[in-house]
Amino acid sequence: MATDRSRRRAWTLGVVAAAILTVLALTGGVFSGLRSVANAVVTPFNWTVNEVARPIGHLFSGAINYSDVVAQNQKLRYELGQAQLKSNESWPLQRQLQQISTELDVPYVGSLPTVAAQVTTLSPTNFAATVNISKGRDSGILVGMPVVANGGLVGSVIATSPEGATVRLISDVNSSVGVTFGNGSVSLVVTGRGVNNGLSATSVPLSTPITPGTKLATNGLNGALYPPGLPVAKVASVKLTPGAATYNLVLRPTADLRHLLYLDVVLWEPTA
Amino acid sequence: MRRALVPAVVATLIIEALQLTVLSSLRIEGVVVMLVWLWPLAMGLTGFTSLALVTALVAGVFFDTHANTPFGLTAVVALVLAYAASRLGREGVGDLDSAAWWVTPALAALGGFVAPMLYVVAGAGALNFNLWRGSVLMMMFINAGAFFVLARPMTRLARTIANVGDRVRR
Repeated sequence: MATDRSRRRAWTLGVVAAAILTVLALTGGVFSGLRSVANAVVTPFNWTVNEVARPIGHLFSGAINYSDVVAQNQKLRYELGQAQLKSNESWPLQRQLQQISTELDVPYVGSLPTVAAQVTTLSPTNFAATVNISKGRDSGILVGMPVVANGGLVGSVIATSPEGATVRLISDVNSSVGVTFGNGSVSLVVTGRGVNNGLSATSVPLSTPITPGTKLATNGLNGALYPPGLPVAKVASVKLTPGAATYNLVLRPTADLRHLLYLDVVLWEPTA
Repeated sequence: MRRALVPAVVATLIIEALQLTVLSSLRIEGVVVMLVWLWPLAMGLTGFTSLALVTALVAGVFFDTHANTPFGLTAVVALVLAYAASRLGREGVGDLDSAAWWVTPALAALGGFVAPMLYVVAGAGALNFNLWRGSVLMMMFINAGAFFVLARPMTRLARTIANVGDRVRR
């Protein structure tokens, strides 16, 4: 008897939970309200746990990843040196490129205003490659604006608040970027393959002259989500299935998406 | 159940905070260990179905409001795990005292292995067919391993909280 009652109670709870979840998922307005309420409830717990547990977490993380950190530091020093060298060598060329871009009315990221922001938190889930940043609407950041860092496109803004924003990385499974290469005659769509899996481009016609090492940049076609010329990825390998009329590309993002600390939001909005 | 509800919800919120602040940055091979799935599963293994479902709902909904994934998927997976574990818990399977030491960790590991796949299937049900493109297999193995390790302490904590109601009743 008691078992029947508790089973009935469990089923009722399950059905009510499913109904609540469905209603909330279907009503976007309620969802955004719920999100802020949930944030308000969890924040004090977050703060307390953060104060206590984060140093411990950093200790473990540091101990586990120490050799990676040292290697990364050395690599960064090397890259910084190279970048400084290149910057010193190429400033006349950059000035020339900016001049030409202005004359051709082509938006070039060097001439577009940007807002620098710090990455505050990473996505808490395995199924979305997003990061939260420290600047938001108050700094002029709007949904849809491209984000760059580490020498390439990182993603775009998908949500904003007055003092923060969420950026969907190009490696997210729901991300797609129109790209081109060489003389710009061929356009491809690059899609994300998840947090750890980089990028890919599928159904590339066999006639497309592309080889490993080819650099891809945003195509900036009419109505595109990104301005043209932002470096996106490099071709890591070309996969051809025997008998298929197209091939697939495995791509490595130009920007190092695993070590994002600071990034630039390009104050550019997609054209309608 | 009612007496245990408040401590269970508070514990769930603390675990939620741990998940969001610590585990999201402390990744293993880039994979986040989903404590918000292990907790309802552990609560389910104590045999308190309603309590397990409530903790699953709270943990899932709060997590979903912080993630940019289809709303409700984490909660659905947590509810399924909690219900399945509670069916086993009611039969005494996975009891910390009477069963062999490895039964609870093994059940939790099975839960951790299945959960990411359930998530992808639930995502397909919500018409999001892109979720399988992530490294699902890696998530399954890493969560299974982590759940195996954490199962006993989590179940012990769950049992302590669930027994609060019983003790007060007595």
